[in-house]
Amino acid sequence: MALAEQTKIPNPIGESMPRIDVFEKVTGAAVYTDDIQFGPQLLYARVKRSPHPHALIKKIDVSKARALPGVKVVVTGDDFPGHIGLYLKDKHIFARDRVRFVGEPVAAVAAISEEIAEKALDLIEVEYEPLEPVLDPVYGASPEAPLVHPDLGEYEVVNFIFPKPGTNISNHFKIRKGDVEAAWPKCAAIVERTYHIPHVQHVPIEPHVAVAKVDETGEVTLWASSQSPFAQRNLIAKTLGISQSDMRVIAPYVGGGFGCKAGVTMEAIPVAIAQKAKGRPVKLRLTREEEFYTNFVRQGLVIKLKVGCDKDGNLLAMENTMYWDGGASTEYGVNITRAGGYSSTGPFDIPNVKTDSMCVYTNHPIGGAYRGFGMSELHAGIGQVMDELAEKIGMDKVEFLKRNVVQGGDILGTGMKMHPTGIKECIDKVAEALDWGKKAEPSAPNKLRGKGIAVMWKAPAMPPNAGSSAVIELNEDGTLTVNIGGQEIGQGTFTAMAQLAAGVMGVPMDWVRIAGPIDTQYSPYEWQTVASRLTWSMGNAVVAAARDARQQVLKVVAEAWDEDPDDLDIVNGTVVSYKSEREMSLKDIGIYGINKEGDTGWIGGPIVGRGNFMPTYVTGLDPETGQGNRAVVHYTTGAQGFEIEIDKDTGRLEIIRAASAFDVGKAINPDLVRAQIEGGFVQGMSSAIFEEMKLVGGEMKNPSFVDYRIATAADIPPEHKTFIVEVPQDDGPFGARGIGEHPMVPSIAALGNAIYDAISVRLDPPFTSEKIYLAMLDAGLVE
Amino acid sequence: MHNPRPGLPEFDYVRPASLSEASRFLAEHQGEARPFMGGTDTFVRMRDGFWKEKYIVDVKRLDGMGDITFDPSTGLTIGAAVNMNRVIDSPEVQEHYPLLAEAAKTVASFQLRSRATIVGNICNASPAGDTIGACIVMGGVLKVHGLDGEREVPLTGFFVGPGKTVLKPGDIVTAIRFPVLPQGHAGRYIKLGRNALSDLAIVGVTAFAYPDDTPSGYRFKLALASVAPVPLVPEKAEEILTGKPITDETIAEAAQAAMDACNPIDDVRGSARYRKYMVRNLTRRAVTDVLNRLQ
Amino acid sequence: MALHRITVTINGEVELVDVPSHMTLLQMLREKLALTGTKNGCAAGECGACTVMLNGEPVNSCLVLAAECDGAEITTVEGLKKNGQLDPVQQGIMEAGGVQCGFCTPGVLISARALLDRNPTPSEADIKAALVGNLCRCTGYFRIIEGVKRAAKIQEAAKEEMTYGIG
Repeated sequence: MALAEQTKIPNPIGESMPRIDVFEKVTGAAVYTDDIQFGPQLLYARVKRSPHPHALIKKIDVSKARALPGVKVVVTGDDFPGHIGLYLKDKHIFARDRVRFVGEPVAAVAAISEEIAEKALDLIEVEYEPLEPVLDPVYGASPEAPLVHPDLGEYEVVNFIFPKPGTNISNHFKIRKGDVEAAWPKCAAIVERTYHIPHVQHVPIEPHVAVAKVDETGEVTLWASSQSPFAQRNLIAKTLGISQSDMRVIAPYVGGGFGCKAGVTMEAIPVAIAQKAKGRPVKLRLTREEEFYTNFVRQGLVIKLKVGCDKDGNLLAMENTMYWDGGASTEYGVNITRAGGYSSTGPFDIPNVKTDSMCVYTNHPIGGAYRGFGMSELHAGIGQVMDELAEKIGMDKVEFLKRNVVQGGDILGTGMKMHPTGIKECIDKVAEALDWGKKAEPSAPNKLRGKGIAVMWKAPAMPPNAGSSAVIELNEDGTLTVNIGGQEIGQGTFTAMAQLAAGVMGVPMDWVRIAGPIDTQYSPYEWQTVASRLTWSMGNAVVAAARDARQQVLKVVAEAWDEDPDDLDIVNGTVVSYKSEREMSLKDIGIYGINKEGDTGWIGGPIVGRGNFMPTYVTGLDPETGQGNRAVVHYTTGAQGFEIEIDKDTGRLEIIRAASAFDVGKAINPDLVRAQIEGGFVQGMSSAIFEEMKLVGGEMKNPSFVDYRIATAADIPPEHKTFIVEVPQDDGPFGARGIGEHPMVPSIAALGNAIYDAISVRLDPPFTSEKIYLAMLDAGLVE
Repeated sequence: MHNPRPGLPEFDYVRPASLSEASRFLAEHQGEARPFMGGTDTFVRMRDGFWKEKYIVDVKRLDGMGDITFDPSTGLTIGAAVNMNRVIDSPEVQEHYPLLAEAAKTVASFQLRSRATIVGNICNASPAGDTIGACIVMGGVLKVHGLDGEREVPLTGFFVGPGKTVLKPGDIVTAIRFPVLPQGHAGRYIKLGRNALSDLAIVGVTAFAYPDDTPSGYRFKLALASVAPVPLVPEKAEEILTGKPITDETIAEAAQAAMDACNPIDDVRGSARYRKYMVRNLTRRAVTDVLNRLQ
Repeated sequence: MALHRITVTINGEVELVDVPSHMTLLQMLREKLALTGTKNGCAAGECGACTVMLNGEPVNSCLVLAAECDGAEITTVEGLKKNGQLDPVQQGIMEAGGVQCGFCTPGVLISARALLDRNPTPSEADIKAALVGNLCRCTGYFRIIEGVKRAAKIQEAAKEEMTYGIG
């Protein structure tokens, strides 16, 4: 495999190289979708949305809107009968017959200005018959609940998702390992607790935007702020009944994704309109409020946990029942509940496991991928019950974690054998950074102080056969153009890929160009920019492509010099022979080949390296027991901890210091890894302290930055230490695994544990000042 | 579902040449014209669709609107168009009216304060207005230009309800004037937001005092934000702090009186229950801070 | 709907633009002048992605009317670079790794520039306070703050070089 082939890691792999996109981004030159100029032909789309969480559509009258001067297209669900969805095709582009959440698209208008489009929306008349909404996933899973999708049994679904027609459960993932019932009597301590994790939003600073154009021949071009140009091409083409190759998606820089620009959220709408716009481009840009109302969300979770251990603190059993509030469509969310299911033990070695992870339709906004893909929600519960169990059995919490975390060779809940992992080292680093075991005095009499730690794991969640590919071309000047289909969403993947290509090829970093923007017409295939999978999966493809190009170069030169390719190397852009000590620059080889001695012909030609990667070793799991040979490719693990103070007068939580450690296998670019850890840490902290979509009767009551607060520069702690642990991954490039999502996964639990340490109360997130104060008041800690 | 439009609705931007012209225009277009200063609230509300004016009247470049002046014998006058950052930076404000700078600093972000004004904060009459309390406790008086010329309007009784004031059609507030403050005064504004900075107030407590011939030795003024439909003055709490010798018990009693005086609501920013406790605790803290500053 | 012909100086260039009354400065920059470095993140004065310098002060350009800007001087992210040299705030944030997706970056840079204009040696607390109006979802702010500190040093060093001269 990849690692075995490479004995030493070539520069600049493993170096903290500067981002290759940074100059564009600090000068304002970087182009994002909304920056592209389309000229006076451009039409502006606006969407008519459902005001009801659940209702039948009785009638839609668009005649007045159509008659408004300046309006060019009006469409409704009648125009687009097809279903769309990544794993479960349960969604229409526009609601047909029935609306299922507040904000669901019902109709759309394209006009010569946004103002006219806005006026036209007011002229569309929709008659509804409200239905009882399902606003709670536990109720939704019960037989009493009204059905959100009566046609669930008819939807197309992938083979690893198990909907239950006639209910609101669109996926039920089970683990039955060992015998939990027989284990409970053997436990010396048992903790049972239910946590409610609220819906939160991704909040990219760039709202969703997409522009579509359909030309005379029916060919579709979509420009979108997108993590998934290929998946969007595939899904939208299928829904509209066109061939994938007749659709082209161009994806410029993305102004923040975090999962919400994966799959198809709003991108199909401008495409649908453009089909009727006679060749004119149609732009749809969500307002910030629409971003909150209608974007995919991190779904809510009700998690019921029961865990037990023996008198020495060895975990014996876990029962984990999860009700995921999947929302009005679970086309993407079903796989989050699957990921929540197969990772449901957290990074713990537990012999007896019973898991039921249920994806439940509700009349809430649609759940989708969000940095962590279910893990933050799951770990919010697990991380806190483990803390509680450690206390109950009378063991130091760090000791308890170290005793029970998974190690290489352990058989996981799904029957998969765990690979080597550095989770214990992560725990040690965090504990040391927080002076674990030493209790510090509060800084003032009205303060309470506490420390908390939590661990995490996460696997790339994706279909078993999600693939990557890369093409590397040499240019006349000796530089490489690296063609990839994975997207730069801020994580630095273009830089990491350039490093891998440069290192493997043997050229300086500044000889590498990443071909952008990603364009499905020219860029090689990439499944999606999600799941923290690019460094690993696309990295493998880029390494393979660079090796291929390198071999081609060496073969050509060897033939020209009449030497053995094994005696040649490429160093700093020059081919050298260790035998003859001859040298030749890549500039003289890349395109035109080499002139044979005596001008007797030519060898070589334009060098084009190709590489692909697809994991071939992930197996199916038994639908009744969740058992199988290999549920996932691998797990990234880590730990995070906080030291906090709580103001007794206000309940305000202040973070004194924090630390995060993650095992990334191999840091291709340590600075960028740290940047991911820092950014994820703050996003996790922000979600834990501030964030909650306040859904009342299905409607979000805080759909703006005024009342959906996220962390600002003034909210971050004075100290956050980051640690990179490197236990190599056997199927990753140079041992690397992903790190994009993981840093925010343990945050809720780690903070919750710190709060408990300070006030001895367990809370549901977010840990707002109000919640903490009132909890202290009710517990008699303050008057 | 309240779904604001992408941009501003169509309106006409009008820039009158004089205050009289502006007042006349506003009166003639009653209900469909609105004066604006920084626009930080106006444009948000227009985009939201709450305000639907046909005319937006820019008065900020008119006479004296951009001036900030201090006279040791008459006090401070801040023109209606003076942005909050200028108020915060003003040496006169810092020396003679530091409470105003302290309160203004808590408003939103620096770039918002480049446009937001004290007078705008007052005219918006938001119960959450951060600078309103300081203006009330320091005896601020509004200078108003109306159809009948100039007049002064005290802040007492100015606020009628959320977003509602006693201003009449054609009225333009041109400045706020503060008297010379008594010797030895001290003030404190404590704002509790969800974030460390930049948020709206869940609760805001303004406390102000100066030495006086009273049983406590001080005259105390208090104002509360975000706990009633209008900025609230808890008079009983003021009386307790003025009428009794200052002890921890007196402070606690006053804080309790402030808590009892307010009548907050539950909203997305905080529950009524939490707000009431915060009024008590932060009043206690603000009064204690003021006492420390007085000494 | 009235149109206003305004003269504005943007990044040192005098521009003559016809703008409708309800057009914001942000819309004018992006749609009339194709100065798309300035971003639209919320259109409500909350996120700071549209921050530009208006007569030397940072403002949310989504809450300023274009028509108000007659005679004004405006600096956008495109105007920070001078004579081919990056501004110290660009250099500092770049070096510190304070950029990820880059969408908040133009606004952050303008806020940072304005901070250093009024306070060339800001404390960490000053920097945080100056940036609360610029939401960033990627970086966690640590490297942005570090970048502003670095910018202050770069600026200081450049000033010394100017004062004492070289060669």
